[in-house]
Amino acid sequence: MRSRIEAADLVEAAAAFLKEAESELSGRTAFHAKVAANALAIVVRELREHPSEAEAAALGALLPDVAAEARVAEACARIRAGEWTAETPGLLDALEAGVRARLAVDNPRFSTLQRLRGA
Amino acid sequence: MSIMEQDRTDPGAARARLARVLERAVPGHVDVEAVSPLSGGASSLTYAVDAVREGQAWRLILQVTPPGQTVAGMSRAVQAALQTRVGKAGVRVAEVIAVLTPQDDLGEGFVMAFVEGETLAPRWLRDNAYAGARAAMLADCAESLARIHAIGAEAVADLRLPVLTPQAQLRALREIYDDCEGAVPVFELAFAMLGESLPEDGNLALVHGDFRSGNLIVGDTGLAAVVDWELAHIGHPLLDIGWLSTNTWRFGQTQMPVGGFAEREAFYAAYEASGGMKVDPELALAFEMLGSLRWGVMCMQMGAAHLSGEVASVERAAIARRVSETEADLLYMLKHGAL
Repeated sequence: MRSRIEAADLVEAAAAFLKEAESELSGRTAFHAKVAANALAIVVRELREHPSEAEAAALGALLPDVAAEARVAEACARIRAGEWTAETPGLLDALEAGVRARLAVDNPRFSTLQRLRGA
Repeated sequence: MSIMEQDRTDPGAARARLARVLERAVPGHVDVEAVSPLSGGASSLTYAVDAVREGQAWRLILQVTPPGQTVAGMSRAVQAALQTRVGKAGVRVAEVIAVLTPQDDLGEGFVMAFVEGETLAPRWLRDNAYAGARAAMLADCAESLARIHAIGAEAVADLRLPVLTPQAQLRALREIYDDCEGAVPVFELAFAMLGESLPEDGNLALVHGDFRSGNLIVGDTGLAAVVDWELAHIGHPLLDIGWLSTNTWRFGQTQMPVGGFAEREAFYAAYEASGGMKVDPELALAFEMLGSLRWGVMCMQMGAAHLSGEVASVERAAIARRVSETEADLLYMLKHGAL
């Protein structure tokens, strides 16, 4: 049986408490408790899924010589300079992998995420 | 100090002053019994006002910027004048009853009629009870937009509204994005693409500027009022149609691209039949892309406002995480042409 409480477990427990507390609150405070619980749910998913690593890895094929943490900024710079466009082979697919990874953390039920997965 | 804060120290005085404002506007005796906040922004407050006019209950809405605060955008007096004018042009709006003056000591604002109806878009877009109203929204909104756009820039020249060409709008977004130290590759692609596809000018007209499902009051039979005229300006008519069709404002009703309640072709046809300009479907899609980019940059801006401590709130912080939603929307459009 696992007994070590990870950061994500702690945050998950705090989120569950906020959800419970929400029912005893009203108006603005209840609304903010709900938003806070949702924010903690994002933190839990981010701690478990590491979306920025997935995004950097996806850009790795296009930017093999750029350090992982600098790839998003480099992609921005190349698009802005006109070197890369939507037609650049592999670019949209790489960006989609990153967006899907982050969206699965930020809002996994978002309609366009389902549509991207189905397309 | 807002009327709400004044209420705390001297509840009767602010209400009495508001009653005098209303007596200026209509004949007879007016009492104000209650003023309750509906929503509060950083620079604007909206209140429900329960008044009694000649013994009859009279429900009103007060929109006010507290005294001593400056409004970043359109002044409330201009907003009231514009709202009155578009109302006369046949656009469904709440009737403006009175405009506050500095002597009223209530802040900068105006009082308008209360319009009965649903303001929560997810509710009227999804609930069965609104099926009939929803069916009427295509024609109602198409007609409203056609009428707004037909007013023309000259007819509101005295209101000195800002003029924003599509490219100027794009440049303004880019500036905010850069100020927020934005680094989003999908946004960069959208900026580049819209730099090519949006016109530099076109036939500019009066546009609402924030025409989306959340700014419509929906009654039992359809559109009851178009609200929030603060972002009205002289711009491209397709800006309003593109913003209405932005995926965010469909609230999951993705099969109905226009506002979550209508299909594109039928909406464009109704808009044209009501006197609107001929809609170029390709260009309308570019304005939908602009809409998603605009909402994405607005989400970033709310995140930045939270981080700077300007408006620290869990809500603002959380909204910044909606940037990835707009990235997905833009990406889908870049890949498939339309969302």
